[in-house]
Amino acid sequence: MSSEVERRLEALFAEAPEPDPGAGEEALHRALRTLHPAAPARRGLRTAVLAFAAAVVLLVIAAGSLAAAGALHVSFGVKTKPRATIRLVLPKGASGVAAIVDGRLSVVTNDGLGLQGRPVSAAALSPRALYVAAGIGDSLVAMAPDGRRAWSHPAGGKVVAIAWAPDGFRIAYVVHVGHRFVLRVIYGNGIHDTTIDRSVRPVRPSWRADSLAVAYVGGGGRAVVYDLGHLSRDIVGTSAPVTHLAFAPVGRRLLVATPDSAVLGGKTLATGEVEALGWFHGRPAAAFPGVTHAIVRSFGAGGQHVDAFAVPGTVVGFSGGLVVVHTPTRVLAGWREKTVGTLLTLQRRSAVEDVAIG
Amino acid sequence: MRNARRGDREAAAALFRRYWRDAWRAAYAITGRRSLADDVAADGFERAFAALGRFDDRRPFGPWLHRIVANRALDLLRAERRLSDEELPDTPDFAPAHTVGDRGLLASVVELSLERRVVVVLRYGVGMTPKQIADALDLPVGTVNSRLARALEQLREALEVEHVE
Repeated sequence: MSSEVERRLEALFAEAPEPDPGAGEEALHRALRTLHPAAPARRGLRTAVLAFAAAVVLLVIAAGSLAAAGALHVSFGVKTKPRATIRLVLPKGASGVAAIVDGRLSVVTNDGLGLQGRPVSAAALSPRALYVAAGIGDSLVAMAPDGRRAWSHPAGGKVVAIAWAPDGFRIAYVVHVGHRFVLRVIYGNGIHDTTIDRSVRPVRPSWRADSLAVAYVGGGGRAVVYDLGHLSRDIVGTSAPVTHLAFAPVGRRLLVATPDSAVLGGKTLATGEVEALGWFHGRPAAAFPGVTHAIVRSFGAGGQHVDAFAVPGTVVGFSGGLVVVHTPTRVLAGWREKTVGTLLTLQRRSAVEDVAIG
Repeated sequence: MRNARRGDREAAAALFRRYWRDAWRAAYAITGRRSLADDVAADGFERAFAALGRFDDRRPFGPWLHRIVANRALDLLRAERRLSDEELPDTPDFAPAHTVGDRGLLASVVELSLERRVVVVLRYGVGMTPKQIADALDLPVGTVNSRLARALEQLREALEVEHVE
């Protein structure tokens, strides 16, 4: 009977479906991009390398002996400054914080997990900071906060912006493919990657609070809301180009910024160059650059001005209900309940690309 | 193969075209989903091409590629199970869409546990020997043989029940 089952199994699999031709072409394109020529093995070269290595070992032993005897001070190679360790401090009540400084990601969570200095192109924390999604090489990678990979998905280009949906089930990401930026949405477990728009701007998308819609900046510079339930697309009637956008943490209101204004539901809240945009104390808020300080303004439901305060430095963003500010030597977070804390200390001229508090 | 290892894109493309269909079908047979098979097979080729410089070209490329594809598929399925037990079904979706005649056997294959299903797929779908499967999955050959035997026994019992009914 087993041989009969085996025969039927072979017949069953022989009739399995064929791959789509389009999938093959895309896979071929991606695979060829990873091709590296193998280094030719040359006996002569290998012998020379071995001889050189042996000479170096002898030299080290000899120099070490002399150094131990105090007869010689030895130093090899160019002295390189060790890369500074990023010491992230978790804000009170937060599940985790992630920062990209000089192209390297560091994460710390309230479970005591953390990772240091992983080169990434973009990153986003999942809800409750259980995972971090990051652009690594030409892939989108989900990792536990200690760096263990949950999955890796070939993105076909450099991932430039990532946003994890509030329910944790989906991730929207913008990837640079050829001369275009493409918006895709993938399940939180790394499957069902779907292209939403083949021409978008490299601006971080924003998820609606119910996780059923994602806002992004289309190729024409207008804000677009894509509804995943109805598979419909609505262009938000704001003049282009939109530079930032942020859905409210509760409800369906979308806050957008253009180069010279902050707009909520078609109503201009404030004019001026918008440095960062988000929601603070549940209210729409925008940061405007000043000479030495940035000004953070928040607005009421009707768009009226509610509050304004100055912060020292550049506002990186609004995250975890806090204002995140970059000064020459520190990244600060706070101004909720008037408290401010240091998230991390920096070397001067460090580039702070992103900070997310989950 | 040698030209592909040296970075010759045409040779690499020829290698891809020769093995893509089998790799995709293996990925599909394990995962049971077209979209996942596309990703797994593409990812398998990316990893294989990225590591081509380290590949011993005296060995056959197919089993090595299948090893990568099978492990990638398993990783994804396990991650999927771990990350979203409630969101996604554990069983593949090829049963309703697949139009082969042996629906009874297909339904029984779908009912196999992931561990048993994979060895069955690699043995009868891809044509790998138990030794090759053991190498691909990093398992002892005895474990592969026992999983195959138990899977066949389970399938046989299921088909007997179907026959009686």
